[in-house]
Amino acid sequence: MSPSLDTTAPTDNTGGAPEDGKKPLLAARDLVQEFTVREAGGVKGGVVQAVSGVSFDIMPGESLGIVGETGSGKSTLARAVLQAPRPMAGSVHFRGQDLTKLHGRGLLSARQHMQFVWQDPFGSLNPKWKVRSIVEEPLIAYHAGDRVRRRKRVEELLDLVGLDPARYAKRHPRELSGGQAQRVAIARAVALEPSLLICDEAVSSLDVLIQAQVLNLFERLRGELGLSYLFIAHDLALVKQVSDRVAVMYLGKFCEVGPGEAVYKTPLHPYTKALLDSIPSTEPGAARATATLRGEPPSPINPPSGCRFRTRCPRAADKCAQEVPQPRELAPGHLVACHFPLTEEPAADSAAAVPAQTEVPKAPSTAQVKG
Amino acid sequence: MAAPLPDVQLATPTPPPLPSLINARQLRAQRMGRALRLWVPAGILIILLAICFLLPLVTTLPSATRGNIIYNNEPPFSQGHLLGTDVQGVDIFSQLVYGGQVAFEISLAVTAIGIAIGGTLGVVAGYASGWVDALVSRILDILIAFPALVLALVIAQGLGPSEFHLILALSVFGIPAVGRIARGATLVIRGLPYITAAELAGTRRWRIIARHIVPNIVPGIVTFSLLGIGVVIILEGALDFLGYGIQAPQPSWGNMIANGQQILSAQPEYVLIPSIALLITVAALNMLGDALRERWGVQ
Amino acid sequence: MGSPVNSVPPNGALLEVEDLQVTFAAGGREIRAVAGVNYAVEPGRTLAIIGESGSGKTVGCRAIMGLLPAGTLISGSARLRGTELIGLSDSQLRKYRGSDMAMVFQDPARSLNPTMRVGKQITEAIMTHRKVTKAEAHEQAVELLRLVRIPAAERRFFEYPHQLSGGMRQRVVIAIALACRPKLLFADEATTALDVTTQAQIMELLLELQQELGMALVFISHDLGLAASYADEVVVMYAGKIVEQAPAKRLFGAGGTVKMRYTRALLDAIPHLERPAHTELPVVSGRPPDPAALPPGCSFAPRCPSAADDCRAKEPALTEHAPGHRWACWHPCENGGAA
Repeated sequence: MSPSLDTTAPTDNTGGAPEDGKKPLLAARDLVQEFTVREAGGVKGGVVQAVSGVSFDIMPGESLGIVGETGSGKSTLARAVLQAPRPMAGSVHFRGQDLTKLHGRGLLSARQHMQFVWQDPFGSLNPKWKVRSIVEEPLIAYHAGDRVRRRKRVEELLDLVGLDPARYAKRHPRELSGGQAQRVAIARAVALEPSLLICDEAVSSLDVLIQAQVLNLFERLRGELGLSYLFIAHDLALVKQVSDRVAVMYLGKFCEVGPGEAVYKTPLHPYTKALLDSIPSTEPGAARATATLRGEPPSPINPPSGCRFRTRCPRAADKCAQEVPQPRELAPGHLVACHFPLTEEPAADSAAAVPAQTEVPKAPSTAQVKG
Repeated sequence: MAAPLPDVQLATPTPPPLPSLINARQLRAQRMGRALRLWVPAGILIILLAICFLLPLVTTLPSATRGNIIYNNEPPFSQGHLLGTDVQGVDIFSQLVYGGQVAFEISLAVTAIGIAIGGTLGVVAGYASGWVDALVSRILDILIAFPALVLALVIAQGLGPSEFHLILALSVFGIPAVGRIARGATLVIRGLPYITAAELAGTRRWRIIARHIVPNIVPGIVTFSLLGIGVVIILEGALDFLGYGIQAPQPSWGNMIANGQQILSAQPEYVLIPSIALLITVAALNMLGDALRERWGVQ
Repeated sequence: MGSPVNSVPPNGALLEVEDLQVTFAAGGREIRAVAGVNYAVEPGRTLAIIGESGSGKTVGCRAIMGLLPAGTLISGSARLRGTELIGLSDSQLRKYRGSDMAMVFQDPARSLNPTMRVGKQITEAIMTHRKVTKAEAHEQAVELLRLVRIPAAERRFFEYPHQLSGGMRQRVVIAIALACRPKLLFADEATTALDVTTQAQIMELLLELQQELGMALVFISHDLGLAASYADEVVVMYAGKIVEQAPAKRLFGAGGTVKMRYTRALLDAIPHLERPAHTELPVVSGRPPDPAALPPGCSFAPRCPSAADDCRAKEPALTEHAPGHRWACWHPCENGGAA
């Protein structure tokens, strides 16, 4: 039973309007994922809620990008969608079925149409297998044709990702470069013609020029195979490049979700603005990147009360410590979870923002510095 | 419920290490050293195995159990007795050869059982995790808590000493030893992305274990087992020495040492010869294990 | 026509590097990691060395600092305030390391001893170069922690590296590097492992420290954006050589004129916020060349979209074609090249 997908509901942080009553390909609701961290040498242990109630939709053919920094929980979110491991709470409806309620063969067949590309191209390939076997594996598992047909399909797939089968099929991963290994991983991922491809920092470990090649490959596959993407990265420009909609994540929650251009041109959440400001740009005449974010990220074991971003937010006020902000749709398809989004006036008591930790001191005068 | 810790993601991975600066001559010397460290012990072991198992098929050796008391205490290199005879006239070289057979048979059997049972248990525990892992780990812990020697003594007392009982007793040590290694190696591989990728690709569990996990833990198990063979040989020798293993007149290196112990001051060679045999065998096994570990990059 | 860069820049430059070459022997082959590099760093200025992996950017700076393993062949000249550094023994270089020049590396977790409190690591650095008492060193260390904007410096002095976040660890590493007020700081991918917001904080910190201490900063990165935002002068390296060198304003400013095809390719391949989504990125095919088997002629020719026969035949020299702007190309981009 799919939950109501009416995005005008105030508590529904989905950020996507179903077009023409089309159902979403993927509907995630209130996902929660936790870890226990053991105490180690002075650092307290405790429970980290890496994902704290995240909901979103992905329409068929759409690309959703999730951008977040270290500790935002974005990779954990990706794995929770995948059920590896299962989220502690929440539901993931994929092609109509709730993956959180499926097990064994049911889960396997439902998940066939959802594939994953990892950050480390070499970690995701068995070092002892040949490229040919790696790409063939999903075809064998799902009994897709006999040996001859499978081999042919492997060649097609390698061609599709730009690797000449004659030269690469018999190689081992250690004989490949990072970009080539990632292409093999992509070939394997699309072997079963999935509907959704989840890419977790899939290009972050590649050199700039190779990265561009692989991004173009993603775009081409999107067109040729009609893929939807869930693209996760820490680089906002990268995420915006490949996505229709962008979600900004901080400490386990979405701050802002909206169309890429809107999030870039009119950011509603102070964190989004801080991210945008920090990005150094090579455009001529662009303002120099500034650090508008103060302080250090808070401990994920003990997140701040109310809005988790308030300890670093220049607009934080008392209300931010008391109430958790709920997502609101301030523009078509553009949601933000903030009491004082950037389109509105800051709170009266926010000029003296409430810091959780001590103030950042000003630089000591040079007279004090011993030379 | 403790789930695995979240990864710390680097924005880009660490840069590749700077290339080595050893010049060509040093490189050749390094390579030669590596090859020697591998092939010298391997060669020694092959020779030992050949002597113990092939030689009796090719030539007739003097009896290893009965001797002519007239010809006792013959020195080495005497007529018909390569290494001489012992106090009772039994040929020493034959005892060495047949004792070696016993040593290798027992140690290889124990190791094979260890890999078959212990390895399987360890891989299953490591892959399945959860209660299966907890149960198997407890079983392995219980098994490993038994001191091998004491257990062997007890079994020998109860069931009577024999080669088969020895193997049984020592397997109680061998199974958990390999089991823990297998479990540890499996856990390491289990966390790698390509296992999750295989699961995502729809591969069945048994196939994942067979084709993904096992090939990647084989190096670790092999190197560990080589060392294990050495340990078992020594344990078996100790048991024979104490009289709870192979019984006289059947030869074994431990028995030889026990027999020679009584006249150690007068004729030390009766103790020295089997001891040196033990030493060479175990040292060669250890060296081979180290060399293979080096070559295969096992931690 | 410009003048080839063989003439030494005018005195006053803090660091002058001339024809630096670094060669390794690995697996029986010779690898020229750095094949003749020239640049100069003025006091108080920021130089960015940009390149992908294998370009030789890291190796070159480590050669100057003397951090390469023994047996590397280093030739050429690197003069720090007139003193030649190439060829000095490790013990001789140790006098300069820390007090005149220092280096900050990429992964702060690796640069810090996990079993030693951070304060002690700073005091150790201080006491290596200066004759001060432990109490004085402690005081100076706390001052340094304040200098790098670590809040509650006195308390943090006693903490271990794993109790600090990535950004704070990098600040501690910077504090250690600055312990003896070096005149020159190398930052080797120092912010690559950090979040972008933390990166902005650390870069701002470095620039402020540069002003306060009158320090020259050389940062090495693959990120042209960093160079555009924070550098005075930019050097782009490919396959062990400098292919383009210019003040940042000339390359990235309004009316920016990027001349080298490679720099152009780098600029175009980076995702830009201003570009609409789903556009195809202009790509250059192929991979960086194997440093042990460099092609004749221009190293970039196998991948360059405008390569011609003369590119493959003869290697272009790095020449100053416009004031302050050097490049090495037979067919450079026109007017900044295609957008």
